[in-house]
Amino acid sequence: MKPCPLARVAQERRALTAGGANGMQHLQRGIGLMPSVTLYHWEPNANSGKPMLALMEKGVAFNSHYLDLLNFDQHKPEYLAINPQGTIPAMLHGERVLTESTAIMEYVDEAFEGPRLMPADAKDRWRVRWWMKLMDQWLGPSFSMIGWSVFVGPSVRSRDPQELEAAIERIPLPERRRAWRKAITGQFSTEEMEESRRRVALGIRMLEQELSQRPYLASNQYSLADINGFNLAYALPLSQPALSNDELTPNILRWLRAIYARPATRACWALGRTNLVKRVTILEQPHIGGGQAA
Amino acid sequence: MNLALYHGEPNGPSLTVLAALFAKELPAELIRIDLARGERHTLPFAHEPLVAMSIEAEGPILLADGEAMTDSVFIACYLDDVGRGVPLRPADPYARWETMRWCRQIIERTAPAAALLGCRAYPPQADEGVLESIVSVDLRARWREIMAGRFSQEQLADSRTKIHQAVERIEERLAEREWLMGAFSIADLESFAWLAGMVPLVSEAFAARPRTAAWLARVRSTPAVTRALSLALRSDPSASWSVGPEINRWG
Repeated sequence: MKPCPLARVAQERRALTAGGANGMQHLQRGIGLMPSVTLYHWEPNANSGKPMLALMEKGVAFNSHYLDLLNFDQHKPEYLAINPQGTIPAMLHGERVLTESTAIMEYVDEAFEGPRLMPADAKDRWRVRWWMKLMDQWLGPSFSMIGWSVFVGPSVRSRDPQELEAAIERIPLPERRRAWRKAITGQFSTEEMEESRRRVALGIRMLEQELSQRPYLASNQYSLADINGFNLAYALPLSQPALSNDELTPNILRWLRAIYARPATRACWALGRTNLVKRVTILEQPHIGGGQAA
Repeated sequence: MNLALYHGEPNGPSLTVLAALFAKELPAELIRIDLARGERHTLPFAHEPLVAMSIEAEGPILLADGEAMTDSVFIACYLDDVGRGVPLRPADPYARWETMRWCRQIIERTAPAAALLGCRAYPPQADEGVLESIVSVDLRARWREIMAGRFSQEQLADSRTKIHQAVERIEERLAEREWLMGAFSIADLESFAWLAGMVPLVSEAFAARPRTAAWLARVRSTPAVTRALSLALRSDPSASWSVGPEINRWG
């Protein structure tokens, strides 16, 4: 485990630019002391990326503990001692263990100094939570079923079957055991995949409509809903080129590029190790046309 | 602030929001709709995305200054923010995290299970015209499955297990406290709202759970919940069910 240098850079930058006592607090917390926060995470992608990016937006230094999902690190005894459910991410703050990425993000926003990542207006906050729930429980699982079938499953399938079976057996939650078995053996049914594709297409239309009304998802300011959404959709014009590009979904593309331009997002995605997250560089293209997709 | 609440019988998500409204001393016009007949889908704002695609499915709708709001836990958070009286969430960030995490478990695991078992015992019934008007394809499909009485043994067994697990967590949690988060909170409301109707339907889950039994009585006797339950049109509102959230597609 080692302190996350990029998070610390972000922290120091904030400390130097923030004024008065606020800046000092950042300085005291970030420099000279070991960070009191440790994040157990995989790639800046989906659930792992949510608290990573929230911490970096807040300028909170943290020890980064990378767990290789494809090596089943999250089901090994050392990690199960931290989070017995074997789900990632998990965050240690002092002695306390926090799980559930969306709830962790709300905690990060409330427990630390730094820019507020929830809007000041109560109804805007309701809308932020509504969208996060749609993404966490309806849209996200559909994206990840497709992602697992094209990335996670093939990435691990070539390994020794006995070793894989033993790894599956170590998964604490029965539903995660079933999900992994399906992903590894490529057993998602045609109907399941079709339903996931229907939801992804509808979700893209919903996002485009929402972002045609507001600069950000759920409110007029950058918030946890955007952090959540970016983790879900950062590679959208690459993974769903026929459904999302500058011609069909200009507002989604504008929104993704605006988030990608933020220093915290750059620093966060730089922590990625796999080709999965390097897909984010698609957003550096000034124009992604529909024709390019076909 | 102009509030109008479209709600069903005080059970499940309607109970959570009604009780939160009363606890926060907020004046609102109360408009009764029959969720078990799908009347929600006949409202003028039923096609708005944040209504039509609500994960909670057949829950109440709060019209707040013209904006239609759904999903009971988040409506309750909103009411907690804008209302008066005792807070319905703790002030400490860690305790707030515990509250949101607890509610997420109820929303994602307990609510779909309770709605499935409740709908099997007390089936909702909507006209074909109403079913056709349901925007969400997956919600419409759940309506059809339930109205046709198609419940898989696997789903029923899994749902009973989830009720058992929720009660186990509550019993354990109450070993050191009267209320789930220390003080009375949205976590008590949401947990009670989904579980009260499970006592007769999954009775074995509640057997030899003295702390849970005492907590159920305690929640029921709070002024806000008592007032919400007094709005019931039928003698036992906990026997009123409509189509609930989807059971996790990943198992």
